[in-house]
Amino acid sequence: MSETLSRIPAGMRYYSGPEARLRRTIENTLVSIFDGWSYEEITTPTIDYYSLFEHGMGRSQAHHAFRFSDTDGRMLAIRPDVTSLVARAAATLFAERERPLRLCYVAPVFRQQPRSRAEWRRESTQIGCEFIGANGSAADMEALAIVCEVLERLKLDCDSLITLNDVEVFNGMAEQLKLTREARAEMRDLIDTRNADDLGRFLARYSHEPEARPFKQLVQLSGKRNVLTDARGLITNPRSQAALSRLERLWSVVESLHLADRFEIDLGDVSQLDYYTGLTFKIYISGAGARVASGGRYDRLTASFGQEEPAVGFVFELDTLTEVLFARACDSIAAGSSSVEGARLTGNNLGELFVAARRKRELGERVIITASEVSQ
Amino acid sequence: MTEVTIAVAKGRLQAETLDLLTRAAIIFSSEALSSRRLSIQDESGRFRLIFVKPADVPVYVEHGIADCGIVGRDVLLESEPDLLQPLSLNIGACRIVVAARNDAPESQLGMLKVATKYPRIAARHFGARGIAVDLIELAGSVELASVLGLADCIVDLVETGKTLQDNGLTIIEVIADSAARLVVNRASYQLKAHVVGRFMRSLNEAQQRGE
Repeated sequence: MSETLSRIPAGMRYYSGPEARLRRTIENTLVSIFDGWSYEEITTPTIDYYSLFEHGMGRSQAHHAFRFSDTDGRMLAIRPDVTSLVARAAATLFAERERPLRLCYVAPVFRQQPRSRAEWRRESTQIGCEFIGANGSAADMEALAIVCEVLERLKLDCDSLITLNDVEVFNGMAEQLKLTREARAEMRDLIDTRNADDLGRFLARYSHEPEARPFKQLVQLSGKRNVLTDARGLITNPRSQAALSRLERLWSVVESLHLADRFEIDLGDVSQLDYYTGLTFKIYISGAGARVASGGRYDRLTASFGQEEPAVGFVFELDTLTEVLFARACDSIAAGSSSVEGARLTGNNLGELFVAARRKRELGERVIITASEVSQ
Repeated sequence: MTEVTIAVAKGRLQAETLDLLTRAAIIFSSEALSSRRLSIQDESGRFRLIFVKPADVPVYVEHGIADCGIVGRDVLLESEPDLLQPLSLNIGACRIVVAARNDAPESQLGMLKVATKYPRIAARHFGARGIAVDLIELAGSVELASVLGLADCIVDLVETGKTLQDNGLTIIEVIADSAARLVVNRASYQLKAHVVGRFMRSLNEAQQRGE
């Protein structure tokens, strides 16, 4: 075959055999858990207007979409994100529906650039939940409880970690230092990469602010409840303090559920500041170089579609989960559908052969028609 | 059992890195060091070093094959990997500079020809100044490009400046200071917080003592 026909574009792939079965089982497991928490499945368009994603994800992220123009010249994109589409549906199709809305989805997303070298995929399937129209710790905790159940059902709870943060801790600090847009982005990057030395140099410019110096310690603050106590001593502006209180309330619930060993507070997680408005969380699993899931509160997103309302959601990366579980040879998860051998049916009389096959299928049995006889 | 795998940049930084690790009480037998093995275990068995080309350090760490890496900042500025950089190390200090022939004309309007091993750093630097550049990517001996007139100037890493001087080049501008950095994989930083944290502290103490 010529190279032009055999070659697969970078970042695209096939799944087959046990890997495909495992992937399907993971998908079904997650969807059944979401159903158990009363999340209704929604299917979104694969292609939509680019401007929608630009609004929903922010320009810098939407930029990665595969784009082309519609017959009327408007710019279209192959879905680089699902949340924007769900948020728009909530503000339009479901505008009159009773709140809160609980929606879930399984959908591939496409990006021209991979997010990192460790996730070199340009097509990746996202499985997620969006909880729209509900505010407060109860809604945040619901999202975290579902995530915990997913990890338990996939038997990943023992070597996974969920980190929690609230972007308002950072926003309160940035506001107090009266940072410009550029300076804010610079400080965000320094905290995100835990670059304590350069952050110290950056903050030296703001030494007239009494809080500037202790901010440096923010990058090193991760741990359990003690982190919140330590942070309260370092950060005193009211906006950050309110965020710390929210985290403290959430942490108390986590403790009362005896889940504290699976969580960690990580005030240095500021990766998607402009998207999230409150709680953010990330899920790490040993064996995966990158995170397998992330989520948070995004109260502003729906406003860009005309109706501002609180929302919290999360997304699991199906391809990363499959890769990790497949590497661990978690056969037990995929066993369900793969282990049953089909009944071999042969015969020269095609009528009889297929009557027998259809009868077995009615009983729900697996059949396999042996080809050599059929071809005669 | 190996707790932490560390990717070490071969070449320029290697000796200084091993010296710093020794000062941080991570000891490798002389047998292991003199062998040609690319992966060696320390005497406590807790640390494993892998030796890779500088540009490959971020690749191994980003994939989580290595938890940490020690690599020059020049490599990080060029490849912009998605990694944590929790510690600056005071080894391998040098500068990324723009250099040109001593007799080069003052300013160039139009297209500037730039030879470099660092095309992204160069593109960013001249891009920020709104200067149109024709980037000529070379694998080594970049100074020669300027000497022989392949390029108007070069963007390169300079340690002492001796090579530039010997070839009749002058530093026009310093783009960034570059020293070695400790980089950490995002997942390892969380999942191995305890051991990675301890490693970071011992490295930091070792280099403070060394000052």
